[in-house]
Amino acid sequence: MQNNGNILTTRDVNLHYGESQALIDVSISIPKNRVTALIGPSGCGKSTLLRCFNRMNDLVANARITGEILFEGTNITGPETDVVELRKKIGMVFQKPNPFPASIYDNIAYGPRVHGTRDRKKLDAIVEGSLKKAALWDEVKDRLHESAMGLSGGQQQRLCIARTLAVEPEIILMDEPCSALDPIATAKIEDLIDELKKNYTVIIVTHNMQQAARVSDYTGFMYLGKMIEFGETVQIFESPQEEMTNNYITGRFG
Amino acid sequence: MQKRQAAVPNGNGKTRTGSTIPELPSVIGDGFDALHNSITGRKYRNLRENGMRSLWFITAIFAVLAIFFILFFLVLNAYPITDSVSIYEFLAGETWNPSGASPAYGVFTLIIGTLLVTIGAMAIAIPLGIGSAIFIAELASPRVKNIAKPAIELLAAIPSVVYGFFGLIVLTSWLRVTCNVPSGESWLAGSILLGIMALPTIVSVSEDAIAAVPRGYKEGSLAMGATHWQTIQRVIVPAAFSGITAAVILGMGRAIGETMAVIMVAGNAAIIPDPIWNVLSPVRTLTGTLGIEMGEVAVGSAHYHALFGVAVVLLAIALIVNLGARVILKKIQEKQTATGTRRQWLRPATKDAIRPYAYAGMGAALAALLLLTVGAAATATTIAIVLALALVKRKISAKTGQKVAFGLVYASITMVMIFLGIILFDIITNGIPALSWEFLTEPPRNLGREGGIGPAIVGTLYLVAGAILTALPIGIGAAIYLNEYTKGGRIPELIRAGADLLNGTPSIVFGLFGFAFLVLYLNFGVSLLAGMITLGLMILPTVIRTTEEALKSIPDSLREGSFALGATKWQTIWRCVLPPAVPGILTGAILSIGRAAGETAPILFTAVVFSKRFLPTSVTEPVMALPYHLFILATNVPGASQNQYGTALVLLLLVMGIYLIAIVIRNHYQKAITW
Repeated sequence: MQNNGNILTTRDVNLHYGESQALIDVSISIPKNRVTALIGPSGCGKSTLLRCFNRMNDLVANARITGEILFEGTNITGPETDVVELRKKIGMVFQKPNPFPASIYDNIAYGPRVHGTRDRKKLDAIVEGSLKKAALWDEVKDRLHESAMGLSGGQQQRLCIARTLAVEPEIILMDEPCSALDPIATAKIEDLIDELKKNYTVIIVTHNMQQAARVSDYTGFMYLGKMIEFGETVQIFESPQEEMTNNYITGRFG
Repeated sequence: MQKRQAAVPNGNGKTRTGSTIPELPSVIGDGFDALHNSITGRKYRNLRENGMRSLWFITAIFAVLAIFFILFFLVLNAYPITDSVSIYEFLAGETWNPSGASPAYGVFTLIIGTLLVTIGAMAIAIPLGIGSAIFIAELASPRVKNIAKPAIELLAAIPSVVYGFFGLIVLTSWLRVTCNVPSGESWLAGSILLGIMALPTIVSVSEDAIAAVPRGYKEGSLAMGATHWQTIQRVIVPAAFSGITAAVILGMGRAIGETMAVIMVAGNAAIIPDPIWNVLSPVRTLTGTLGIEMGEVAVGSAHYHALFGVAVVLLAIALIVNLGARVILKKIQEKQTATGTRRQWLRPATKDAIRPYAYAGMGAALAALLLLTVGAAATATTIAIVLALALVKRKISAKTGQKVAFGLVYASITMVMIFLGIILFDIITNGIPALSWEFLTEPPRNLGREGGIGPAIVGTLYLVAGAILTALPIGIGAAIYLNEYTKGGRIPELIRAGADLLNGTPSIVFGLFGFAFLVLYLNFGVSLLAGMITLGLMILPTVIRTTEEALKSIPDSLREGSFALGATKWQTIWRCVLPPAVPGILTGAILSIGRAAGETAPILFTAVVFSKRFLPTSVTEPVMALPYHLFILATNVPGASQNQYGTALVLLLLVMGIYLIAIVIRNHYQKAITW
C-alpha cells in the first residue's frame, strides 16, 4: 500500500493522570488519508492517546503530557497551540452518540456557525452535503427541523459524524464509535469509514478486533500504556512481530 | 484545509454514495477566516473568552463577598452587647426584658421557645411527611401521584403571612373553643402551623430519597415473597434513611427560621411554659423577638445590639441544622458516585486534625435536636407504632400488618390533603366576596377597612422585579463560573458553602441586615431600593444553586462534542450548555420570584409602609406590599375582615400562580428531555 506521507507523528509521548501513568513513550506516525486503528485491552491507553491528538485531555483536571505530537510539522502539545484551531482541523466522534438537544439541522450547522458562517444558503448546503457524506441524508431529509434526540442510536452516531464533517476537518478521531450500536448500524458506520478515508484521515479506537481488521489500513496494538506494535493491518493480523500482539489477536488474553 | 477542499471534486474520480454531492461551500471562504484565523481575529476571540471568564469570576467573587459580608456585619453589630452583659449571661439568662427599668438581655427563654415550637412542629410534620412521601413514592398510581405531588408543592407556595393569617383567624379560635382557654395563641398553635409549613420540604426531599432507591432492591425483596409493606419497611426506607434524615433536618431549618406565622399565632410572651409540657402556654421565639422589636428599637442602644445578638444565635442554630443536612446529603452523593473525586476545601491534614472536634460538636448539637424532636414525634405516633408493632410481633399475618400500615400511610396523606383543603377553602370562600375591580386598583381607605389594595399589588411587583434583577445576573454568573470554569478546588467550594449557609439563613436575618446596613448605614432610608436589594440577597443563594443544578444536569458529552468541533469555551457555554439548561434556570428563577413575592420579614423594616395613597415615583421612596398589608390588617386593624381575606386571596393567587408556572415548565421539560 502506498503511503501518502504522515499527517501525525508522536515522539516519546508520556501522559500522567495525577500519579498514574496512562501513556509510556509512545512514538508512532499516522499516515495521511488512511484508516488507522488503535486496539488493545481496556485501560491500555488507546482512548487517552486518541484524546491527545485534539487536546481533549485538557478537559481532565490533572492530566500532564510530555513529549511531542507533530501535526503537519508543528508540535501541538504546548500551551502556545491554539486548541480551538486544532480541534477545527482534528474532529472527534465519541463512544456514545452525543447529539445536541436541538434539531438535526442545528446540530450540523453548529460547527460552521461557531466558526462564523451566518449565510443561510451556505449553511443549507453544508448541512445537505455533510448529511450526504455521512449517508444519512435520505433518512432525514424530510425532518431536518425535528429534534436529533428522536433518531435511532445508529442514526445519531452518523449525525455526529456528519456534524464533524461540516467543520471540514483533516483528521477524524473515532473513539469506539460502534460500541453502543447494533450490528446493522455498525455495518453502516464501517461502510461510511471506508468512504471517508478517500478524503480524510481516520483514527479509530476499537475493542473489536474484527472491526479493526475490516476497516483499517494500519493498526497499533497497545498494552498498559505502551505502543507494543504498529504497522500495516495485514501484517499485524497475519504475522505479528511481537509475542504479546499475537496472544491478543488470537484471543489468549484481553 | 484549502488543499483538501480542492480534492473533493476531482479527488478519486469516484462518485460517492450514489447521489450527486453538491460541492461544499467552503466555510473558509466566508470572510470569517479573514477575521477569525488572522492574528487580529484570534486576538479578538481571546479577548472575548478572557472577558467572559473575568466577568463570571467577578460575579462569583461578588456573591461570595456579599455572603460573608452579611455574616460579618451581623457579628460586628452584635458584639457591643458584651459591654452590657457577659456572653454567658446573654445566652443563659432567663429574663428577656430589654425595655424594663433595669434591662435584662437573657435569650435562654427565647432559645427554649424556638426549640419547643420546632419540636412540636416536627412531631406533626415527621410522621405525616414520611407517610405522605411513602404514599407518593410507593403506593400512588401515576395519576394520583401527578395530583398529590404538585398539591404538596402548592403547600410550599402559600406565603408564611397567609399561614399566619389563617392560624390567627381560624386555628387560634378553634383552639380557644376546643381547649377552653382564654386565648388560643400558643405554643400548640405555632407548632401546628409550622408543622404544616415544614411538610412540603420533608415530603419532597424524602420522596426523592425513596424514589432514588435502586429498583433492584425492591424487586429482590418482592421476589423472595415479602409483602409490599415489608419491602418498604425493611428495604426501601432503610436504604433511603439518610435522605429522609436530611429531609427532616431541612424541614426543621424551615421551622426554626419562620417569623411571620409564629408572631401571629404563638402569643409571644417571653416565658418558659410552666409546666414545660404545657402546650397551651404562649411562647416567644428568637425570630418572633426580632420581628416584633426591631421596628421600635433605638438605633445604637444596648437593646439594638442585643437584637443583633439574637440574630447571631438564631443564625448559629440554623447554621448547625443546615450544615448537618448538607453533610448528610453529601455523604449520600459520595456513596452514589463512588468514582467521583472528592472535593476538599481543607487540606487533608488540617481536616483530619479538626475532624473529630467538628464532628463531635456538630454531632452533639444535632443529636440533641434530633433526640428531642424524634422523641416528641414518637410520642405523637405512639398509638400507631404500638399497634403496628403489636401486630407484627404477634405474627398476625403479614397481610394484616400491611393493611394496618397502609391504612396509616393513607391516613397521613389524607390529613395533609385535608390541611391544604381547609386552608384553601377558607381563604377562597371568604376572599372572593371582597374581590372587585375597585379592590384591586384603589388605594386603601379608613386604615384598610375600606378601599382597595392597588398600591400594595404594584409595590409587591416592583419589589419582586427589583429583587430578581439584582439576583439573577449575579446568581447565574456565579453559577456559570462555579460549574463551567472551575474544576473543583477551594474557592468554588467556599462559594458553595457560603451559598448554602445563606440558603438556610432565616429571612428575618436578611431583614435585619437590610435595615442596619442599607437603610441606616448607607442611608437609603426605608425605601423600594433597600427592599429590592434585601430580597435580592435573600434569593441569591437559591438562584446560584438552582442554576448550578441545571448546568450540572447537562452531560459532559455535550460539552466534549462542542469542543471537538472547535468551539471555544464561551461558544460552548452559550450555544450548547445554556440552551438546554434554560428550563431549569427559569424554574429556579420563578420559584425565587414566588418566594420573594410572599416574604414579609425581609421587607418589614426595609421597604414598606402600611398606607400610601400614591405609587412610588422613585426607588428612594417606601412602598406598600401585599404581605405586609395583610400582616397589619390581621394584627392591628380590627373590623377589616373582608379586606383581610381579599388581600390574603390576592397574595395567595399571585404566589401560587407563579409557582404553578414553575411547576408546569419543569414537568414539561422533564418529559421532553432524557439524556
